[in-house]
Amino acid sequence: MIITRMHLPRRSFLKGMGAVIALPMLDAMTPAFAAPRLQARPVRLGFTYVPNGITMPEWSPKGTGAGFEFARVMKPLEPFRQDMLVMSGLAQRNGQALGDGPGDHARAAASYLTGVHPRKTAGADIQNGISVDQVAAQQIGSATRFPSLELGCDDSRTIGNCDSGYSCAYTNSLAWRGPATPMPPETNPRLVFERLFGDIDTSLSPEVRARRLMYRRSILDLVNERTSKLASTLGPTDRRKLDEYLTSIREIEQRIEKAEKDMTGLTPTIDKPTGVPVVYADYVNLMFDLQLIAFQADQTRIVTMMMGREGSMRTYPELGVPDPHHPLTHHRGNPEWIERVTKINTLHMELFAGFIKKMKETPDGDGSLLDHTIIVYGSGLSDGNRHTHEDLPIAVIGHGGGFRMGSHIVYPKGTPLTNLFLTVLDRVGVQQETIGDSTGRIEHLTDL
Amino acid sequence: MRAVLIAFILFLALAIAGSAQRAQQGAIPPVAPLPAAPRSTPDAKEPVAKEPAAPMETVEGYDNIVRPFVIDNCVPCHGYKKQKNGLNLESFENAASLTDDHDRWSEVVKKLRSREMPPEEEPQPPEHQRQAVAGWLAKELDRIDKSTPPDPGRVTARRLNRTEYNNTVRDLLGVDIRPADDFPQDDAGYGFDNIADVLSLSPVLMEKYVSAADKITRRALFGPPAMKPTLTRLRSDGRRVRDAKTFPGQYDVTGLSLPNAFHTMFRVPIDGEYVVRAALAGLRPVASEAIAVTLWVDDQLVQTIPFDSERSATFNDDRQDFGGQMVEFKAQLTSGDRHIAVAIPRIFEGLPPRFNGPNPSTRPTPPPREFKPPPNATPERIAQLRKTFEDTQAELAKIPMNGVRINTLDIGGPYSQATGPTRASLQKIYTCGHPTGAHTPMCARRIVTDFARRAFRRSVTSQELTPYIKLTEAAEKEEGSLAEGLAVGLQAILVSPDFLFRIERDRTNTGKTVAAHYPISQHELATRLAYFLWASMPDASLRRAADMGTLRNPAVLAAQVRRMLRDPKSSALAENFGGQWLQFRALESVTRDRERYPDFEDYLRFSMRRETELFIEDVIQHDRKVLDFIDGKYTFINERLARHYGIAGVTGPEFRRVDLNDTPRAGVLTQASVLTVSSYATRTSPVLRGRWVLDNLLDAPPPEPPADVPNLKEEEIGTSASMREQLELHRKDPTCASCHRRMDPLGFGLENFDATGAWRTMDGKFPIDATGTLPDGRKFDGPEELRLILRADHQAFEHCLTAKLLTYALGRGLERYDKRTVSGIVSRLPEHEYRFSGLILEIVKSLPFQSRRAASTASTP
Repeated sequence: MIITRMHLPRRSFLKGMGAVIALPMLDAMTPAFAAPRLQARPVRLGFTYVPNGITMPEWSPKGTGAGFEFARVMKPLEPFRQDMLVMSGLAQRNGQALGDGPGDHARAAASYLTGVHPRKTAGADIQNGISVDQVAAQQIGSATRFPSLELGCDDSRTIGNCDSGYSCAYTNSLAWRGPATPMPPETNPRLVFERLFGDIDTSLSPEVRARRLMYRRSILDLVNERTSKLASTLGPTDRRKLDEYLTSIREIEQRIEKAEKDMTGLTPTIDKPTGVPVVYADYVNLMFDLQLIAFQADQTRIVTMMMGREGSMRTYPELGVPDPHHPLTHHRGNPEWIERVTKINTLHMELFAGFIKKMKETPDGDGSLLDHTIIVYGSGLSDGNRHTHEDLPIAVIGHGGGFRMGSHIVYPKGTPLTNLFLTVLDRVGVQQETIGDSTGRIEHLTDL
Repeated sequence: MRAVLIAFILFLALAIAGSAQRAQQGAIPPVAPLPAAPRSTPDAKEPVAKEPAAPMETVEGYDNIVRPFVIDNCVPCHGYKKQKNGLNLESFENAASLTDDHDRWSEVVKKLRSREMPPEEEPQPPEHQRQAVAGWLAKELDRIDKSTPPDPGRVTARRLNRTEYNNTVRDLLGVDIRPADDFPQDDAGYGFDNIADVLSLSPVLMEKYVSAADKITRRALFGPPAMKPTLTRLRSDGRRVRDAKTFPGQYDVTGLSLPNAFHTMFRVPIDGEYVVRAALAGLRPVASEAIAVTLWVDDQLVQTIPFDSERSATFNDDRQDFGGQMVEFKAQLTSGDRHIAVAIPRIFEGLPPRFNGPNPSTRPTPPPREFKPPPNATPERIAQLRKTFEDTQAELAKIPMNGVRINTLDIGGPYSQATGPTRASLQKIYTCGHPTGAHTPMCARRIVTDFARRAFRRSVTSQELTPYIKLTEAAEKEEGSLAEGLAVGLQAILVSPDFLFRIERDRTNTGKTVAAHYPISQHELATRLAYFLWASMPDASLRRAADMGTLRNPAVLAAQVRRMLRDPKSSALAENFGGQWLQFRALESVTRDRERYPDFEDYLRFSMRRETELFIEDVIQHDRKVLDFIDGKYTFINERLARHYGIAGVTGPEFRRVDLNDTPRAGVLTQASVLTVSSYATRTSPVLRGRWVLDNLLDAPPPEPPADVPNLKEEEIGTSASMREQLELHRKDPTCASCHRRMDPLGFGLENFDATGAWRTMDGKFPIDATGTLPDGRKFDGPEELRLILRADHQAFEHCLTAKLLTYALGRGLERYDKRTVSGIVSRLPEHEYRFSGLILEIVKSLPFQSRRAASTASTP
């Protein structure tokens, strides 16, 4: 079933929090604030994740260095050769069993951005590390209304434990704000839209809306104080729950403060989505559009995007693939199954390439949005059939890092993926000495 | 000998300490007398910290009976050299391991008794030895269990999950708008989404709480916001009306269960008038009578509109073309999820007489056309025209007699929406007795206090409420009305942790000794009850009992439980507990290959879910026996499901109870919902179904498969090899065999049901073979005999259901110390004639439900 919604009144959605300025104007206004030439646009950081590994022979480029040849899955990125790097040989060893038995999908997602071996548990006491995006969010996130956004294109509606005794929190979330606090992705485009453009009734006068925001702050002050008192009377596990509450309250207080201050507001350049589009490609495109808007309007500089959750059971009838993705990846060498998996991998890449194209076409400061962005595309598994956590499919797109782009770099087998993350963090101005299992900065990345 | 000595010392230490702590060699727990449980503990009659009978016997028994058996029969695969499934029994050198590795030993007993171990292809121990060792171990493990002091565990502060939030807001403020549906998904643990430790609180969720509190309080006080009408277009996606060449005789006259109808679950945002516009498509033979188009809301016929294609403009006069024609309904809809359906009734009536349908058309059939060659045309031209004419005629003959379908549905609205607050909401808020005007300065205080007491589910102190009251008064002054003040004050209460979390308070210790555990307060108990059975807050009656302190009075408690189960709100238990236990919640996102299962459309999906919900509600509200879940020979179906199941005599969309005595179906296991969620999109899977049974009916989940296992040759199933042949090949591998011997037979017994739960006797070109042999040698053929086997093992099912319900009730995973609670409940079920209310009552009366471990004696694993 396909759902579209036509707005009878479009005007009412054209107001966000505060006054109304159309987006293109934001850009037009920059010269007024900034030094005319060397206006540095902030660097945006994106992590785009695809589940269940990739058919590696169809992913890995032929040849290394600048003259590499695109293989089938990555072909859609060919127009952006000079905007990207392919990296082979990186590994996430903490995704391996290491004595914990099955559950590679849960570990793949949970360790991907944390570099930490998640504790095997279906319930209580989930334990992982802080993910690279959240490390960044904690240091540079306060510059924007949202320290980070987490997006996903797979309804995480699942029951029971999600993978061999691992809590669903591990398969559903890439972003971890603390070892026990996953940041589940928002999968409903309408709700992403509402987060970006506000929830207070836009038909009210600016004064009333300002007062409502003020009441919200008083309410948060009140519960903040009450909760601190309450927490001190509770046992340690209960207190931990209330600490989560307090941290969240404080973050929202800051956000409201910014909304009050930042009267430039926002104008949606797309219609408010009504729900989750039925066709997968429409769904992903919409989520990428929202990511683009968030970057463009500088609402956040850090986005994680899961094109599917790890272990995804999505079927792709539009590709002639009626079977669910995850069981297909356990193909045992059956060429027909491999072909279907490759089709899925390629579709993911086509959709991603569409997003990159738009990023490149979107002006930002003295260049394009892609010039000021680093996006890491990849999966926490390479061979989904055998659950390999080594030689992961990883590509870096965008010039935000100032790397010399356009080549295929092969690293020694087992080089921690987190080394790449550390290097990326350097480039967005985040100071961090280690992430998970990192052993240092990644090599062979030449500056421009 | 040294090992024996150490074991002996350890046991002594354990006996003295009476502690449940896992004793490790070299780490002897501190010796401290454990105070007895307080007298008021409901389970005080349970033995507390009995000393182990004779540890020496245990030590000798282990060394003489168990150890040699293990060395001979188990260690070859589970020793230092090989550790299959990570198990090293050789390392369990002495009797202390019975306590240390209690869970693993319990597994050993199970595997020995079910003859899964040693595996078939290995040498088998003599039967008397097998029995003796299993029996000795079981007895010892049981003794150790009983000598462990009772421990109710400690439930962490529980955040309301999405369902609980929605229901609580509904009952607290009379606002039924399901705001939490927009919240991020709650994570699940131990199979349920109400597990305290897993329910985390992200800033995103907090943001939603803040925003929802604003919307909810304003809606309750001032009514819904004015909503601009929007239009939602719902498009069917390539459904075909399958043509019936001849009148099928029996068919669904409402048209609802035919593939040309349109079904959707639509969220109506607010009470009001809505326009439902159906776009038709398809053809019907010329000279057919007018059709009717009907609108159904929640299975009720709302409106019928006749539609005559022959009277409307159409491109052709030799067929009735419905393409692009619109039928527009106006309907009053109430907010919430509504099942909206548009159907064409009596589609085989009113056709031209040559179709031999009932009530044929009385419209004159136009005479058959004749080919008239135009004058002066060349013979070639005439031949060409004749061919075109004949092609058209041939095409006309193919017009399906029931080709009309509903193509898209537009739902527009709300028009003339409801405005203003509801009476129910106002009554819940204005407890000072006068909703409008005439407020005294005391009103704010009174209203906020009453509201907080309900929202916090406990008694409140005026001191803790002062900030809320001050805030209310400040906003009242600023905005100039009490209602505006309350909008801010009540909002604050809805974002406070006392509302969002169910926090149970530790008891302040007054006596000299610290109690190991203590009963939770009356209000905490009322709250546990309400969220267990209703997934919502306590109602006035529960609050009153808690206020009076009578809730622990056995008669009062039993009466409350029965009342709550009979209340329609207990459908929350069917939906939430049932939906997750039987996993039919997953139906929402299940897909089926359209080529193979063209019948699997939304109406069938809704109907499947409804059947299982109604079945569980029936067990709950009519207090059936728990074994009805396995072998109740009845179910609840509508015409759509009846057609799916091949059951005659059920007409119309409403669900009704039907007898299943002449069918192979019984209980939940043969319901389409369960059979569908335990299948793949393209085929059935005996493995998945077997596993489903082990997980959900027997609580004996198999371990996960090793990573690199061969899969079935998918393409060959049903074509060159049967599924069974393939699976049997698979089972030749000894690594796979041990678990698959347990799983697969259970699934084979259900092979007569396809991946959507319809009955079948063939799979591709292979006849279904539904026989199975369990590891213990019992054989069966088909679902009926499988059911008898499950029935014979009814205690295993009762254990499973009890453990799942207890997990759901407590909001935490079960620990070893909960085992005896579960066994105790199961052993008392006969006293309740195995009634469902008996099971619930036993859970409610159990130590972990009634009590909480004191913070200071925390021995969390």
